[in-house]
Amino acid sequence: MTNSSQARKAGAHAVMIVLSALAIFPVYWMVQTSFRPSNEVFSTLLFPTAPTLDNYRAVMDAMPILRILGNTFVMAAATTLAQVLTGLLAAWALVRWRFPGGRIAHSLIALSWLVPFQVVMIPNYVLATRLGLLDTLAGLVIPNAAAAFAVLVLYNAMRGFPREVVEAARMDGAGSFRTLVEVVVPNLRAPLASISILCFISAWNEYFWPLLLIRKMDNAVVQIGLQFFMTQEGNDWGLLMAAATLASLPILALYLVLQRQVVESFMKSGIR
Amino acid sequence: MIRRHFLTLALGASILAGAGAGTATAQMADSVTEPVTISFYNYNLASAGLGREATLELIAAFEKANPMIKIEPVGVPSNEVLSRVQADMIAGLEVDVAQLVFRDLIYAAEQLGAQPLEDVVGDELSAHAAGFVPNGLALGEVNDKTYGLAYVFSTPVMFINRDLFREAGLDPDQPPRTWDDVKQAGIAIAEKTGKHGFFPGAYGPIDGTFVYQSIVMSNGGKVREGNTLTFADENQADAVAMLRDLMDSGAHARIDVASHMDTFQSGNLGMFLFTSAVLSRFEEAAEGNFELGLAPMPSFGEKPTAPTNSGSAVFMFSQDPVKQRAAWELMKFLTSNEAYTTITSKIGYLPLRPATLTDDRYLKGWLAENPKFQANIEQLDRLTPNVAFPGPNYRQVENMMKEAMTEAVFGDGDPREVLRTAQETAQPLMPSN
Amino acid sequence: MTETAISARPATAPAMPRLRLRAAEPWLYLAPALAVVAVWTYVPLLQAFELSFYQWNMLPRSQPQFVGLGNYVNLLTLPDMQRAVVNTILYTAGLLPLSVGIPLVVALMTAGLSGPLRNLYRALIFVPMIVAPIVAAIVWRWLLNEDHGLVNHWIEAMGFEAVGFLRDPQFALWTLVWITGWKLIGFSTLLFAAADAGINPSYVEAARMDGATNWQIVRDIRLPLLSPTILLLTMMTILFGAQWSFVYINALTGGGPLGSTTNVYFVMWEYGFKTMAAGWSTAAGMLVFAVFGLIALACLGIMKRMAFYDE
Repeated sequence: MTNSSQARKAGAHAVMIVLSALAIFPVYWMVQTSFRPSNEVFSTLLFPTAPTLDNYRAVMDAMPILRILGNTFVMAAATTLAQVLTGLLAAWALVRWRFPGGRIAHSLIALSWLVPFQVVMIPNYVLATRLGLLDTLAGLVIPNAAAAFAVLVLYNAMRGFPREVVEAARMDGAGSFRTLVEVVVPNLRAPLASISILCFISAWNEYFWPLLLIRKMDNAVVQIGLQFFMTQEGNDWGLLMAAATLASLPILALYLVLQRQVVESFMKSGIR
Repeated sequence: MIRRHFLTLALGASILAGAGAGTATAQMADSVTEPVTISFYNYNLASAGLGREATLELIAAFEKANPMIKIEPVGVPSNEVLSRVQADMIAGLEVDVAQLVFRDLIYAAEQLGAQPLEDVVGDELSAHAAGFVPNGLALGEVNDKTYGLAYVFSTPVMFINRDLFREAGLDPDQPPRTWDDVKQAGIAIAEKTGKHGFFPGAYGPIDGTFVYQSIVMSNGGKVREGNTLTFADENQADAVAMLRDLMDSGAHARIDVASHMDTFQSGNLGMFLFTSAVLSRFEEAAEGNFELGLAPMPSFGEKPTAPTNSGSAVFMFSQDPVKQRAAWELMKFLTSNEAYTTITSKIGYLPLRPATLTDDRYLKGWLAENPKFQANIEQLDRLTPNVAFPGPNYRQVENMMKEAMTEAVFGDGDPREVLRTAQETAQPLMPSN
Repeated sequence: MTETAISARPATAPAMPRLRLRAAEPWLYLAPALAVVAVWTYVPLLQAFELSFYQWNMLPRSQPQFVGLGNYVNLLTLPDMQRAVVNTILYTAGLLPLSVGIPLVVALMTAGLSGPLRNLYRALIFVPMIVAPIVAAIVWRWLLNEDHGLVNHWIEAMGFEAVGFLRDPQFALWTLVWITGWKLIGFSTLLFAAADAGINPSYVEAARMDGATNWQIVRDIRLPLLSPTILLLTMMTILFGAQWSFVYINALTGGGPLGSTTNVYFVMWEYGFKTMAAGWSTAAGMLVFAVFGLIALACLGIMKRMAFYDE
C-alpha cells in the first residue's frame, strides 16, 4: 500500500469517527442524565457521580410504561404494514398500466405529502371522533394508512424492475396480482425493508396526532409519555430524560439487532 | 347558495344538530339525585408531578363527598387546553367543566359559551364567594358577570439565589424592594460573580403576559382600555423602558428566554421574577446547590405594586340542569377551604380564601413551616385582575404585544417607538366599538 | 439499470374482450391509497380552502362570516412575514450543506473503507434518524445552553467566550439549522454511499486505464452518476426543510430571539393554527400548500431535465 492511499484511509477513518461521535453523543448525554438525581442534573461532568434509578422508578410509577411501549409497538407496526401494503398496490397500478387518470392519481398522491398536517388536523379530529376512533389505537393508524412517501419510493423501485421478467410471468398466464406477489415483491426486498424501517420510525415518533386523539394513559403511546414530563412548572430533566430514554430504547435496540440488515437494505435500495 | 351549502354540508351538519339540544337553558337542578358523569378538562393532570397528584387527590375527595357525581378527567397541557375544549365542542363531545388560563377569559365567555354563573347558580355564587380575597370574583369577570371561578392562581414573586447575593456583597435578608434596588443588585451580581443579575419570566413561549402586565400595572398603566390598545402609552412604555435600562446597564440577564428556569435552577441567576407555582421544583433543584430565597415583586419607587394573577379559572359549559348542578358542586369544591389547603401546600399556588392561612384546620401549620411563602401572600391584598383581550383575534393581538415588548427590551431600537409601531399594527385586529 | 423500465412500454397489452374490467383494474389497486388520501387529506383540504374566506371559529353557536381575501391579507401583512420568508430561505440554504454537501463529500471520501469498522460507522451515523425530534430538541437545548451547557463548558475551557447559541439572534437560526441537519447528515451519507456503491465499477476501471486522476473520476463519472440522488435530496431539503425545522423552532425558540428564527411555517402556526381561528389557519395552510406545491412542480421539472441516468 502506498503512503498516499494510507493517508487517505486514515483521513476517511477520522471523518467517520467525528461524524459518529457527533451522532451518538447527544444520545449518550440523554441516557446518562437519566441516571442523575435532580440536584445533580446540571453538572457538566461526563458521567453521573452517584447514578440512581430513581428517575426510572418515578416514570414507572407515573405511568404504565410497559403497556404504553406495547401500544406504541402495535400502532407503529400496524401503520407500517398498512403504508407498505397500500403503497405496493398503488405503485403497482401506476407502473403496470398506463391509463386515463393515472397521472392525476399519481400527482394527487404525491401532492398529499405537501399538505401541512395542521390544516387537516381539526377536521380529521372531528371525523375520527364521529367514527368512534377517539382514544383508540385504530384512530392513530387509519388516517395514516397510506403514505405518499411509500408509494413514490416503491413506484421508483418498480420502475427499475426488468421488464422481461414481468413479461415472462404474463406469458405464463399470471394475472397482475400474482405477478405482483410472486415476481415483483420477492425482488423488492431491499426497498421494502428500508421503507418499512422509515415508516416504522416515523410512526413511532409521531407526536401531534396522538397528543390530540388519546385521552387515557392506558391507550397512550410513548411520545405522549414524553409530553407528560414537560410541565409548565419547569421541566424535570431527570424524569424527562428517563422517559426519553425509555421512548427511544426499544427502537434503538431493534435497530442494533437489525442494523446490519437495515444499513444493507439502504445500501441496496438507495431510496430514490 | 352553493357556497354556504357546501360549508354547512362539510362541517356544519352534525355540529349544528349536536348543539341545538341544550340552547334553551332551564333552571339548574337543586340537587343530583341520579348518578351523573361530568367531564373536567384540566391541565394540571397533563403532566407528572405535584400538580397532578394534588388534582387527583381533589377529584377523589370530591367523588367521595358526592357519590352521585362521577368526574371524567381530561388532561391537556395548558397551552392546548383551550383548543382542545373548542375542538371537542366542534366534534360534538360534551364539555362540562374546564380549567382555562386567564388570557382566554373573554373568549371563553363570548365565543365558547361559558355559563355566566350569576344566571345559572343565582345567589349561591355570592354565598360561596364570601371569604374570597377582595378581588377574587373579579378575576373571572367579563362585562359584570362571573364566567370563571379563579382556581389555581398565583402572582409574580422574586426568587433569590441567596448565595449569589452574599458572593456579590449584598445582604440576602434585604432583597431589593424597588426597581432601582434591582438595578444596583443586578449590576453587583453580574460584576462580582460573573453570573446573571435579574431576569423576569416575561418573554418566553410559555410565559404568558402576567409578569409583564404586573410590571406595567405597577407603574399605573394598563395594556388596553376597552377595545383600544394602550400598551404603548406613557406609563406602560416607561415600565418597558425601565426593563430596557436594566438590560443596558447589565443588571438584566441576556439569556435564552425559553430556559430561564433552568438558568435559575443551575445557580446562574441571582433574581428571577416568576410565578410561585414553581417554588417546589426550585426547592428541589436548589437543595445542596444554593440557598433559595423569596421576595415580593419590586415596585416603582413608592408606587404600590399591582401583582396580577397567573394560572387559571374553572368554567362551566354544561347545558343540562342536572349536569350544571354537578358542575357547580365541583367548582365549589375546587375553591373550598379544604381544596386550597391541598392546592397551596402541595403545589404552591395562592389560596383564594385567605382565612385558611390563619386557621389551624387548614394552612396555618403549613405556613409556619414555610415562612418563605409569606412574600407571596403579602401580595394577595393588592391582587389586580389580569387583562385579557377581546374579539376573535385576541391571541394574535396579545402575541404582537408580547413580541414588541420583548424586542423593546432585547433589541437596539427605541423601546417606546417599537411599542408604538406594534400598537398601531395590532389595533385593527381588535373589535371595533 | 441497463434494462428498459416497465413503464417505458407504450400502451399495455393488446385489447382484450374483458375491456371494462381491464380499465377498472388499476383503480382497484389504487383504491386503498386513494381512499385514505381522499378522506383524510383532500376532503379536509377542500373544506379548508372554503373556510379560508370566512371568519369563523367553527363553533356551532357562531355564524361563519364571509371576509373574502381578508384572512390572506391579514397573514401576508403580518409584521413578521417578511423576515419569515427571508429566514425560510436561510434555513433551506443552511440545511443544504448538511443534508447534501457534507454527506456527499463524506460518502465519496469514505467509499474505500471496508470491514467491521465501516459497518460500525454506518450503524452509528444512522442513530440520529431514529431519535424523536422532540427528544433531539430537548437534548440539544441543554447541550448548547450558555450557562450550564456542555458545549459552552468546552468552549470556555478552550479559552473562548461562551456562545449564546439559542440566545444570540446572530447564532440562533444557525443553531436550529444545525439541530435539524444533525438528524439528516448520517442518513444522507448512507444514501450517497448506497448510490455510490451502485456505480458500475467497470466505468471507473476504464477511466483509470485511460489514466484519469481520482479527482477526474469523481468529477466526470461518480458525480454525474450520483446526480439523481443529489437532486432528490436537494429537492427534499427545499420542500421539507422549513417543515423539519418547525419542530425545533416550536420547541426551542418560539421564533425568537427577536424573531430571528421564525420561518413561514412558524408564523403560520403562531398566528393561524395555534389560535383556532379557522379563517387564519386555513388561509395559512392554503398558502403553504400552494407555495410548496409550486416549488415541488418546479423542482420536478428541473429534475427531469437535469438528472443524468445511467441508462
